[in-house]
Amino acid sequence: MTILENKAIQISIKNLKDKLRHWQYMFFSLLLPIMFTIMFYFMLGTEEDKTGRTGFDYGFPGMIMYAVGMGTMNAAIMFAQDKSSGMLSRLDTIPTGRKNMFLGALISESLFLMLQISIMFIVGYLVLGLYFVSPFALFIGFLVTVLFGISSVGVGIMIASVSKNVEVANAFSLVVFMLLAFLSGSLMPFESPIVYFTPPYWAKQLYLQLTVMGDGFNKCLFSSSLIGESAEKIPITLGAGLLIIFAYTSIFIMLGILVFQKKTKF
Amino acid sequence: MSMTNDSVIIEIKDLKKHFKEVKAVDGVSLKIKKGELFSILGPNGAGKTTLVRMLTTILTPTSGDAFINGHSILTGKKEIVKKIGVCPQDITIYEVLRAEENVEFVASMHGISREEAKQKAKTLLENFGIAGRRDWSKHFSGGMQRRLNLVMSLVFDPEILFLDEPTAGLDPQARRLVWDFIGDLKQKDITIILMTHDMVEADSLSDRVAIIDNGKIIVQGTPTELKEKYGSDNVLEVSFLEQEDLEIVKNNLKNISFVANWKEISRKERKTLLIAFQGGLKNLVKVLQQGLIENIDEVENMKFRQNSLEDVFLNLTGKRLRD
Repeated sequence: MTILENKAIQISIKNLKDKLRHWQYMFFSLLLPIMFTIMFYFMLGTEEDKTGRTGFDYGFPGMIMYAVGMGTMNAAIMFAQDKSSGMLSRLDTIPTGRKNMFLGALISESLFLMLQISIMFIVGYLVLGLYFVSPFALFIGFLVTVLFGISSVGVGIMIASVSKNVEVANAFSLVVFMLLAFLSGSLMPFESPIVYFTPPYWAKQLYLQLTVMGDGFNKCLFSSSLIGESAEKIPITLGAGLLIIFAYTSIFIMLGILVFQKKTKF
Repeated sequence: MSMTNDSVIIEIKDLKKHFKEVKAVDGVSLKIKKGELFSILGPNGAGKTTLVRMLTTILTPTSGDAFINGHSILTGKKEIVKKIGVCPQDITIYEVLRAEENVEFVASMHGISREEAKQKAKTLLENFGIAGRRDWSKHFSGGMQRRLNLVMSLVFDPEILFLDEPTAGLDPQARRLVWDFIGDLKQKDITIILMTHDMVEADSLSDRVAIIDNGKIIVQGTPTELKEKYGSDNVLEVSFLEQEDLEIVKNNLKNISFVANWKEISRKERKTLLIAFQGGLKNLVKVLQQGLIENIDEVENMKFRQNSLEDVFLNLTGKRLRD
């Protein structure tokens, strides 16, 4: 059996075809990140500080986490559609396996996320000239974003599993996504210990410090949602922060599998 | 009938599914033999789909069990789904995939190689008249989508095939196509469980039929057995222009032993005689052969209404299948 004949891969290929052939969805998913990037470019400004970085350079990590967090909604809607159309039941009568269904969705959603992130990177770094410390740091930033995106997919699948239909999944995922975006301080500064309980905070802060600030893995994280006068260092290293993001992602994926297996049984 | 092997392939033991107060399936027990085409006939809401959803492991029963090829539906899901093909009542296809992509996807889930899946999909789609369509399935007509829905359940040559109302919404031509194909499948020793509310479909295709109502099997047997035991008499309706001719026929009837009774009804100029008799078409031929309409100047009209499973259902439940 070739890798392409693997069931999870087949499911992900099918999912990607499904996405790519819905032009409204493509328009929304691919144009929105571009729109976001350009909008924030003008909103945050291009005036350089004494280190040569602009407001847009500092704001981009939060903004990209916000955009990637939308993966929660995408995954939730996709799964809820399969559930309410009866396709999930049909897949249950063929030797697909719940794990393959979940893994297939995870692969396709992650690939799609990478496409979205790549578009934002191209627009941000190649077109609008965003600052980054080094290509390696940029690569780390990309990986952190992808990792956070995968955890969002896990949350999305959990939401779809407990939702009765597409509309509920859509509304529920929007609430969760918005709540996380604001509580993490991804978009606007939020000075509260609550931020530490949200994955977007860790993802954004790691990206910001590693890719934009040029800190190493041994440096400590900033407590604030934005780097500024009030930001204090907290005794957790960026390396540990990376582990926290890994832990969040693993937990959400495992929870996603559990909830999906339990809640989609009839 | 292809019932050469009498081994039981599906055994249902006191299966129940209750949704709060609603007893969708209420203690169904059945044995279905290998290679048999077994129909479960009942009106909408009788419990057919709930039963098939339990047998195909989608739905967990409230109590009871069923064994598919020796595997319990409660514990043997993995083994069961490798053997069964399921054509659900609702059309469940990926609308933005092409017909062959839908079929190949299901094939891939059964571990069929890409080349083989392509070949099988091509053959099946040709058989069902959907080959050559390059557009997405959402652009197909309802009938074509329903045929694709069926093809998706056949691509891996299942040992047992569950068909839940496979011809619902199809035009007569497409319905005939599906019936012919089901007939072909019977020859291949595939066990087919057909859920239907179409008495003609059940009567013409089935080896055996179980009639379900309010979640309970009320009777089962071959269509002929059921019609003979629980059905009504066959009725031959003969109309004449002259009362004299009608009287001759009435006189002739006295000599035919299996004629149960007759009734005269007259509407305007037409004189009609309703003749009820037991047995099937064979007896109709006998009635005519025994000189029923000898010495008659002119028969204006003749109609034959055969005893059907609808009559069986009506006599057993007091309501029609469509009610």
